[in-house]
Amino acid sequence: MKSILKAAAIAALAGISLPNFAMAQTEGGAIDVATIGEPPTLDPMTSTADLVGIITQHMFETLYTFDANWAVVPLLAADMPEISEDGTVYTITLRDGVTFHDGSDMTAEDVVASLERWLRIASRGMQTAESVESVEAVDDLTVEITLNGPYAPLLALLSLNNSAAIVIPSEIASADVMEDFIGTGPYQLGERRPDQFTQLTRFEDYASRDEEPNGYGGGRHQYLDEIRFVPVPDPNTRIEGAVAGQFDYVDSIAVEAYDRIASGNTEPVMLAPFGWPVFVMNTSEGVNADINLRKAIQAALAPQDMLLAAFGSEDFFSVDGAMYPEGYVWHTEAGTEPYKPMGDMELVAQLLEESDYDGSPIRILTSRQYEFHYTMAQVAEAYLEAAGMDVQLDVVEWATLTQQRTDPAAWDIYITHSPFLPEPSLTGIMSDTSPGWWVSDAKHEALGAFNAEADPDARVELWAAVQEVVYEEVPAFKVGNFNAVAAQSPALEGVTPAPWPYFWNAYLEE
Amino acid sequence: MAAVASSAPGKTPNLLIRLLGRPTAAIGLIVITLVVLAAIFAPLLTPYNPAQLSIVNRLTAPNPEFWLGTDDLGRDIFTRVLYAGQTSLSVAFAVVIVASILGILLGLVAGFFRKADAPVSRVIDAMMSFPDILLAIALVAALGASAVNVVIALGIVYAPRMARVVRASTLVIRELPYVEAARALAVPTPVILVRHVLRNITSPLLVQGTFIFAQAILAEAGLSFLGVGISPDIPTWGTMISGGRQFMNSAGWLLFYPGLAIVITVLALQLLGDGLRDLLDPRLAKDI
Amino acid sequence: MLRAALNRLIGMLTVMAIVVTIVFIIVRVTPGDPAAVMLGPDANAADIQALRQRLGLDGSIIQQFISYIGGILRGDLGQSIFLGQPVTTALWMRAEPTFFLTIFSLSIATIIALPIGVASAYWRGSVFDQVMTAVAMFAASVPSFWLGLIFIQTFAVGLGWFPTSGYGGPYSSLGDRLYHLILPATTLGIVSSALIMRFTRASMLDVLNDDYVRTARSKGMSEWRVVVRHALKNALIPILTVVGLTAALLISGAIVTETVFALPGVGNLIVSAVLRRDYPVIQGALLIVAGLYVLVNFLIDMLYLLVDPRVRY
Repeated sequence: MKSILKAAAIAALAGISLPNFAMAQTEGGAIDVATIGEPPTLDPMTSTADLVGIITQHMFETLYTFDANWAVVPLLAADMPEISEDGTVYTITLRDGVTFHDGSDMTAEDVVASLERWLRIASRGMQTAESVESVEAVDDLTVEITLNGPYAPLLALLSLNNSAAIVIPSEIASADVMEDFIGTGPYQLGERRPDQFTQLTRFEDYASRDEEPNGYGGGRHQYLDEIRFVPVPDPNTRIEGAVAGQFDYVDSIAVEAYDRIASGNTEPVMLAPFGWPVFVMNTSEGVNADINLRKAIQAALAPQDMLLAAFGSEDFFSVDGAMYPEGYVWHTEAGTEPYKPMGDMELVAQLLEESDYDGSPIRILTSRQYEFHYTMAQVAEAYLEAAGMDVQLDVVEWATLTQQRTDPAAWDIYITHSPFLPEPSLTGIMSDTSPGWWVSDAKHEALGAFNAEADPDARVELWAAVQEVVYEEVPAFKVGNFNAVAAQSPALEGVTPAPWPYFWNAYLEE
Repeated sequence: MAAVASSAPGKTPNLLIRLLGRPTAAIGLIVITLVVLAAIFAPLLTPYNPAQLSIVNRLTAPNPEFWLGTDDLGRDIFTRVLYAGQTSLSVAFAVVIVASILGILLGLVAGFFRKADAPVSRVIDAMMSFPDILLAIALVAALGASAVNVVIALGIVYAPRMARVVRASTLVIRELPYVEAARALAVPTPVILVRHVLRNITSPLLVQGTFIFAQAILAEAGLSFLGVGISPDIPTWGTMISGGRQFMNSAGWLLFYPGLAIVITVLALQLLGDGLRDLLDPRLAKDI
Repeated sequence: MLRAALNRLIGMLTVMAIVVTIVFIIVRVTPGDPAAVMLGPDANAADIQALRQRLGLDGSIIQQFISYIGGILRGDLGQSIFLGQPVTTALWMRAEPTFFLTIFSLSIATIIALPIGVASAYWRGSVFDQVMTAVAMFAASVPSFWLGLIFIQTFAVGLGWFPTSGYGGPYSSLGDRLYHLILPATTLGIVSSALIMRFTRASMLDVLNDDYVRTARSKGMSEWRVVVRHALKNALIPILTVVGLTAALLISGAIVTETVFALPGVGNLIVSAVLRRDYPVIQGALLIVAGLYVLVNFLIDMLYLLVDPRVRY
């Protein structure tokens, strides 16, 4: 397993250094990228799916984006915004000379129309709309966003690639349903054959930034002529395709297959840590509306066993209660005492005693789209039942799960996972309306202070308070951290491991 | 001659002995009996609990302690194959019951009432023009995935086969002199159906039922494999194969042994069905 | 004879009409709102209602039935909800792998089954016959997906002779694509050979006892000629029947096999349509597959009529 650690170290290094250090970037060539399925849409405003973001980030761009350290940097904006003293007016200057794929120039009018569409139809946009007073074009290259109060997450929201605030021509932005996929990105949509491939081709008039590439920010070089995203929904097929060297890049591979990939024709790439599996509790209806039961569940679960069963080896996960792992500015151990790697059965008995739990089944909603969700559900079931609770596993298709989780009467726990989002307040449970419906005075107080604070250092302090409330009220149970594995052809260079892999700056070696 | 005459009416008691006289049928019968007994007496045959997790023992290769190895949650495969047999066999048996009830109803109506024959037969034809698995998938999607709905769906899928057999037999039986006599005597139709027709079609029903049993085991496994069948947390041979698939390379025993259980069981049922058909209804032997 | 043919035609159309109705009922009964699935978790009730209207899901059941029948008569199977393309296009684009898979596996099944079936009938009751009957039964007892996985493990992963799965990527050559079909077609061919073999054996047994075969023998014709020229020739029509029906039924096998080998065919489309609740695709696929089966059946009937005019309805 030493090889894995080494690979992780190299991956980490690659994340910091610039792809430029290799001298032999060659232009040309096409790559096949195996993805986890067919994207339900190519309009990234309307979807929070990672898959949609991965593909469309090549076609569409946002005003801001993230650098290698997850700091917000400008993309279509010329520079960081000017923010008024009271934190309510953002003045954003746009880059001059940016063209859309249809040949028209990007102007402030397009940006305003795009942002309005985003505030109107994107889930993250609608959440933001509550704080937005107006979006106006000051001149051809200046946009002004006025808020009804300070809202620190704004720039992170404008930077994300899912439910994304992309900039599209104003004519297209006026319609809620996107028919033409015209962006400003380095690649444009070529041919699309559903369930077979989505082909992106180089956009010759792309206006790259001048800075060195840095994470999603900086210059975007277009070495490749063509990127083809091939849906391969079956996890085993992705593994076998990777071993056979059938693809240049294979996304989302089960960690169990790491050694097998290493022995094949493509090389495994590990992103450590990638994200966190989470059991979201239904705080609004059903047995889990009872905070004491939620605390009992928190005490009964043994994350160590859940992670081991799901990921097989400590090389691929870490037992960690902090909502952000070490290395992130948001990392803090504040409030994490209730997180016990092997559970705390004595505490469970006491908490159950204090709860109103009547022995009715706790319904865990999960799917096998991600096998580790289901594996963890099975382990959780065993532990909860050992603690005297009754569990009912509802294993459904992912499409059904995303539908059922919006119904408060349908479930008590649902299982999902998330990458470590650059802005903590974007996490699902932080929204009052996202499934789980966590609403409390303590939450609003801690989160409100966090969102209103503009000073980064002060926000780090305030985040600790939010995490404490999460552990106090248990709207969700963070199982731990896990790593993601992808596979990459030895000929493909310049790909930086990232939660949403991107292929500008990537090139094929001769 | 006397011996022949005495053996004819009392079919059932002798059936077993006659079956055992044919080597292939005997093997089928013995194997399927052993499989059923192993499933029923699973708790006595294994010291483990099928749901007992033991994460430290995950993915252990077959060894003296775990004869067929363990799965990704450290559960004993041998134990799970036995317990999964309970579900797989019960589901398949329930399918036979549902298919028989529906099939007998349809078949009797089509075979006995001339006017109903054409419409009912066309419906049977229409249902048989859907491939098994495809119709089953669509029905399970329509009803919702659960063990009960899998039984209903497969019952509907196999009912037309049963109905055809029942119809064909009924057509013959209704013309028999004593049935005609009963009709002439104005014996109520339901009585005729139950007393004369049903009693006389038990042989083809038994043969067809055995084959449907075998098909249902395969179909349930297929549905579970496609992810549209019984919930994966209920152990059946199908869900075990489906769950073991991701460990195909590193721990092949996860999917090999449940599959072997299916092959053994289905093969035994087919051998038995073949033997039954040859014994009970030589005319049918030529058909598939 | 014309009368008989007309009768069959009417029978076939009746069955088709029932098929169409069954499909409509199944699809309408299926729970889950395609509009909600399509819009995703964050959609609100108004969005869903608007989309339902656009998809024509808000009319009464009678209206829906009428527009559905109208669509079928125009050859319009509707628009896939998920793929954003007409169902006929979606099916057509996936026809190639399924078509070749069916042809290949049928050929493999026939090549295996025909000689063995003939030989079994010729030496009926012999050890060969018994062993082959057992082998056929064994083949019919193996779950095709399980066999497919074992083949992948053995011949693709272990020996590396074949690709493990897939259809060769977006721009692969025809040869490469066909190469990807060898393992799946073998799997499916083996599993479906049992039926053809048993049927061949039964038909040959029938014919071998017929008078003209005895006559041919008594004339001193060589055994090979008796069996192949006379017996097999006459047994061929029932055998062709079962081959034809097997072809129509292979779509069942294709559904599972395409999933195991990740072939982008019609079977795979159907499974993903069910998982995505893409109703128009489920509906269209059911119609076409069942329709093909009814049609094959009808053509076989016609063939019989032509060959043997004594057959009456």
